[in-house]
Amino acid sequence: MDIKKLSESLNQNEKKVLKVMDNFTSSTEIIKVTGLKDVEAVRALQWLQNKGIVKIKEAQKEMVYLDENGRKYSKYGLPERILLESIGEPAKMQDIIGRAGLDGEEAAVSLGILKSKSAIEISKGKDIILYVTEHGKRLLKKGFAEEQFLNENFPKEASSLGEMEMSMLESLRKRKKILKVEVKKDLRAELTETGKKLLKENIDEALLEKITPAMIKAASWKGRKFRRFDVRINVPSIFAGRKQHYRRFLDEVRQKFVALGFTEMNGPMVETDFWNMDALFMPQFHSARDIHQGYYVKEPKYFKSLPEEIVKNVKAAHENGFGTDSKGWRYDFDAKRTRRNILRTHDTSISARTLASKELKIPGKYFQIARCFRYDVIDATHLPDFNQVGGFVIEEGINFGHLKSLLRLFAKEFTGSDEIRIKPSYFPFTEPSAELQVKHPELGWIELAGSGIFRPELVKPLVGKEVPVIAWGVGLDRLAMFKLGIKDIRHLFSHDLEVLRNAKVI
Amino acid sequence: MPTITFSLKDLQHLVGRNLSSEEVSELTHYGKGDLESYDQETDEMKVEFQDTNLPYLWSVEGFARLIKGILEIQKGIPKIKVSKGSYEVIVDRSVHHIRPYISCFAAKGKKIDDYILKQVIQLQEKFCESYGRRRQKVSIGLYSYKRIAFPVHYKAVEPASVEFTPLEFKASMSLKEILAEHPKGKEYAWILEGFEKYPVLIDEKNEVLSFVPIINSNFTGRLEIGDENIFFEATGTDEEAVNLAASIFAYALSDRGFDIYSVEIKGQERKISPSLVPEAVHVKSGQINRLFGVDIKENEIKQLLEKMQYNFKDSKIEVPPYRKDILHPCDIIEDIGIAYGYENIKENQLATYTVGAALKLNEFIDKIREIIVGIGYQEIMSPVLTSKESLYGKMNIEDAGTIEIDDYMSETYSAVRSWITPNLMEVFSKNKHVEFPQKIFEEGIASTRKGEQINEFNRIAIASSHEGANYTEVRQAMDYMMKCLGLHCDYEEAEHGSFIAGRCARAIAKGKKVAYLGDISPEVLARWNLEMPVAAFELNLTELFEMIEKK
Repeated sequence: MDIKKLSESLNQNEKKVLKVMDNFTSSTEIIKVTGLKDVEAVRALQWLQNKGIVKIKEAQKEMVYLDENGRKYSKYGLPERILLESIGEPAKMQDIIGRAGLDGEEAAVSLGILKSKSAIEISKGKDIILYVTEHGKRLLKKGFAEEQFLNENFPKEASSLGEMEMSMLESLRKRKKILKVEVKKDLRAELTETGKKLLKENIDEALLEKITPAMIKAASWKGRKFRRFDVRINVPSIFAGRKQHYRRFLDEVRQKFVALGFTEMNGPMVETDFWNMDALFMPQFHSARDIHQGYYVKEPKYFKSLPEEIVKNVKAAHENGFGTDSKGWRYDFDAKRTRRNILRTHDTSISARTLASKELKIPGKYFQIARCFRYDVIDATHLPDFNQVGGFVIEEGINFGHLKSLLRLFAKEFTGSDEIRIKPSYFPFTEPSAELQVKHPELGWIELAGSGIFRPELVKPLVGKEVPVIAWGVGLDRLAMFKLGIKDIRHLFSHDLEVLRNAKVI
Repeated sequence: MPTITFSLKDLQHLVGRNLSSEEVSELTHYGKGDLESYDQETDEMKVEFQDTNLPYLWSVEGFARLIKGILEIQKGIPKIKVSKGSYEVIVDRSVHHIRPYISCFAAKGKKIDDYILKQVIQLQEKFCESYGRRRQKVSIGLYSYKRIAFPVHYKAVEPASVEFTPLEFKASMSLKEILAEHPKGKEYAWILEGFEKYPVLIDEKNEVLSFVPIINSNFTGRLEIGDENIFFEATGTDEEAVNLAASIFAYALSDRGFDIYSVEIKGQERKISPSLVPEAVHVKSGQINRLFGVDIKENEIKQLLEKMQYNFKDSKIEVPPYRKDILHPCDIIEDIGIAYGYENIKENQLATYTVGAALKLNEFIDKIREIIVGIGYQEIMSPVLTSKESLYGKMNIEDAGTIEIDDYMSETYSAVRSWITPNLMEVFSKNKHVEFPQKIFEEGIASTRKGEQINEFNRIAIASSHEGANYTEVRQAMDYMMKCLGLHCDYEEAEHGSFIAGRCARAIAKGKKVAYLGDISPEVLARWNLEMPVAAFELNLTELFEMIEKK
């Protein structure tokens, strides 16, 4: 920056400091001569350094402070002087101390000092009598050097004291709480070449600081200059309101599905075995349905009323295939167990409800984002809660070829990748079933979605007829973690405010 | 989902081809599986299979059979020779209501070595645990028949009346004692709960083979390295599953080079086991086309079916006896599709135009979230599962009805949240060192119950914590939010254990109480170990949404 611009960037404090820098280099001195507060002066020095005007070195220095008694004596005088003054005519020691208003300790110390200065004599008879010597009288007239010293400005830098002052410091330090000495960091600031040049300039031009409404109204700024800001320096950071990072990701997923022509569906979190599994044609005896595979509800154990007609159909599907070409699972469907309340274990329960709903439109495309629960060991990498994204497409005449193109679309939309593999898989409610693997540009091959065509034994009892339904579920947590730069899956639900405040907005 | 372990060399031997681990990895897909790992040093390979209804693949012999079909080394259902054996099992009526079904066979002509024994045990365990529903539906026993005096009797006996020495034990114990003391007895006692008699297999000399489905005898009830004579039995409650077990094992041991001999089972009716008659299914060719969108000619269908080990003749499909997963023609059609190759199926664009839509409630919620973010609040997302201590104990209120988990794993996650504010308090308690002011909110589902009635609502809570946090601040937020929604709120004084008395209000919109707001009481702050004041509100969004929709 040229010298002119530099001079226009100086604020009042910087100017004050700069002006004394020909003579003073220590921050303590600068503070004293400029009358600035400590922080103001130090900050001004730092700004000046940022601008290349001064160079700061840190040094240590001893600072002398008035202590508790020191402050008192500086105001009311030293006790030895008060004592000496109180003697007047020779008198009993007890009376004199009483007159001087000193406590025992102060009196004893004062007597010792006055004696060592030969200012008094003490006669020891029946009573102790004090006399002021000639020297004492002269001393009273002249005043106590220590007292004058205490009246000066403190704190003082120890290195600035003269020989006399040093010896007074030494003797006063030996006394109780008069002076204290502390080691402080001191800043030594030296003008750089730029600084020296700058000092030769006129830096007193009055620059405008704050722009005020009055100034704008009166146009008083016209013809004057605003002080230049140093726009490069750091400013204190702020944090503001914002959406949770993972939730924001899920918001975008929702928007994406809506944009692709899907309708969002909803269903309860506390589900029944019926919608969670039975309606999906998962047999009640299946090993995936043990008590330890899901969070069953303590009370109420059973849901009051399921739709009778649909339950009848599903029961028939399990028992004999419900008029599809299926044998069914051939067992006695437990009509009580199907009402058992459970926290939904997957979002497919919502698909089942949607298929059975009067609102269902054929053709139709549906999706859901649902909080689900898995009975799993809760440790560093597992939480009982997780979010699932899934849905279905229902339309006469659609088939596995449509499923493949839909999976390709998902791959493209969620990873940007066109390189996919679709391999055989198994889900209890789809036949055929397929898994989508995508070559993510950075993560390599990842499993992105499970899908398939709903079994006829599932569709017919819910919809009332056999219609092809392409079902899919997308596993987005891994993608979310990647996009958000999160290593630990628990951070998706982080309670750490620093993590939340600093999370990337993606 | 079952994972099996075997040696690649053994697989190559069974298939009769040299296969690389990459080739095996590709071939696993035909069985809906994945290669988990291959260790070149030990030659050990691990494969996971997805389909829980296809247990024949849970043995290296079954997997090798699948591969032989795919590589067209073997076409259609593999032939198996079963010789007539002279063994008899007599089923007593007493097992009918406990565990009625049994299937058996004998195998001989080959020495069992360490590796084969491991494979047999692996299949036995996977089958019984998963498909056999932890032995309840099916359990399997394997014996050296040399130590058995035929005929074997399958019957139910009084728990205290029969004694034998169970596997891994030295002393003789009664059935009752086994259930109480033996580790396997304790593990599987639940299967026999409620029965007065227990099923046993006992031979002509009154020697117990097995206390089914609990534990075998230490004398007859085990296979050992060097044995050449195997007696197999499966018992259970599902006839088809019990027969399937015999079929799968008979095929596996036959593939290994054993000769299989039948066993005559005498019960209410006489039957010869194993029963290896293939089931016939009719599939219309139109169904294949409908599901996969490809036009496959009948001779190609035959070829594909044979690859997947089905027989195809006179437009009838025969299913191999080691498979019972075919409920509907679509189960076979999927196999045809897999054999055809998913990669070869042409993609079809979905052509119908549909208009997408988000849930109205969610759109409303998003607006609310936007308003709250706008006044400077950081959004939180917490697990829905929590504890009653967090919901009520620490919040100084009574439980008015909570969805609790029946058999929870951890107290920390033993109840569904009934309100959201406790989540926010928890966040404060975890962030005492973080810069203030801390202003946070969360929106999400909460559940309550009233008797039999379960209620789910979307709720939102906001909370502000800093030195000056107070009623005015959250009241301003509430007023602002309602104003944004075009609503006006009245406020009345309220009593609530979580808030300071006299500094708690209920917000009333359109005559309905919609929210609590106020200063959190120092008692509650202390329970959360907090030192900074907190003001909060909580609102039922579902109700508010319905109220707005009505107007």
